[in-house]
Amino acid sequence: MVLHGWESVFFWVFALAALVAGLLTVMARNAVHSALFLISALISVAALFVLLGAEFIAGVQILVYVGGVMVLFLFVIMLVNVGAEEREQEELFNRPAQVTAAVCFAALLVFGLFYAINQSAGRFLPDASEEAPAAARGERLRRAETRVSNISEDTQRVGSSLYRYGALPFEIASVLLLVAIVGSVLLARTAKQELAADDVDPLAVSDLSAAGELTPAEIEAAARRAHADDVWEQSKS
Amino acid sequence: MNSLFTPALLLLQGSMLDNMSEGVLRPDLSKFLIIAALLFAVGVAGVLTRRNIIVIFMSIELILNAANLNFIAFSRYLQETGHANAVAGQVFTVFIIVVAAAEAAIGLGLVIALYRNRETIFVDKIDLLKW
Repeated sequence: MVLHGWESVFFWVFALAALVAGLLTVMARNAVHSALFLISALISVAALFVLLGAEFIAGVQILVYVGGVMVLFLFVIMLVNVGAEEREQEELFNRPAQVTAAVCFAALLVFGLFYAINQSAGRFLPDASEEAPAAARGERLRRAETRVSNISEDTQRVGSSLYRYGALPFEIASVLLLVAIVGSVLLARTAKQELAADDVDPLAVSDLSAAGELTPAEIEAAARRAHADDVWEQSKS
Repeated sequence: MNSLFTPALLLLQGSMLDNMSEGVLRPDLSKFLIIAALLFAVGVAGVLTRRNIIVIFMSIELILNAANLNFIAFSRYLQETGHANAVAGQVFTVFIIVVAAAEAAIGLGLVIALYRNRETIFVDKIDLLKW
């Protein structure tokens, strides 16, 4: 696997962009700036995916990460106070233990990487297997004449692999997403919203009235609803 | 242990410069791995050093992306060596993206609940379990 010509130029451009944007994500004081830098880092990584021939994953990355997750992040940053980090104008990297741990980890990683690459030097280089990609490229040219694009074919292979070998994990992932939706709705709802629900728990009502967070009218209305639920269930049984 | 010092020896011989220019002009699998490792290290540094819990979440996303880059690079590498199920890396990446989205939703819900109760999003102020 070796990139040639313009591909290598684009590789270095997007790799450096991803690294610099990642560094700025970690170092920006304002959380909104952090989120914007993370978006550019994610887009650069998506471009690297395109260079690696994974167009479907690049599209998913842009749609899900940039379009979904990062918008969620920005919403939450706006909900909690934005300028908190800026108000406390202290040194950003001011905790020596954590900074030392990070530097040690990075050094370990670089050390191990150089060791591994030295050990396997030449194994990644195309020597005998150079013929295979050339043959594949020739095949691709012939396939291009049949007007089946390389992109759709790759996506098709990913899809069939996803449904053939990863069918069970796929279902489990959908259940996970359902649980995540229910969980985040439950976590983000306030006490008053909980009280406004139809199936309010009588225990929650007594807890909230003990905490003194509600007006008597609200407690009475909720208690009436809770009681009505009890009556309803008794009449059913 | 000897092979650890071969870069220095190669540099002395001057052939490492040729290797480096070759590597810059024609990036192979190892360059992708290096970039992914650097992204991972940046993400870990963010998780360890930042106080804002939202920035810590964003650093975790960076770490997951580094892992995705590794998966995709190895997937491409296996495709060209004619391995049987070479797109398994791409399938795995889809699952990682799904789990990252679920994690972000739950984590940000937790952040909102936390901010409502404690009025802070700084991890060093949230020390109820510390003694």
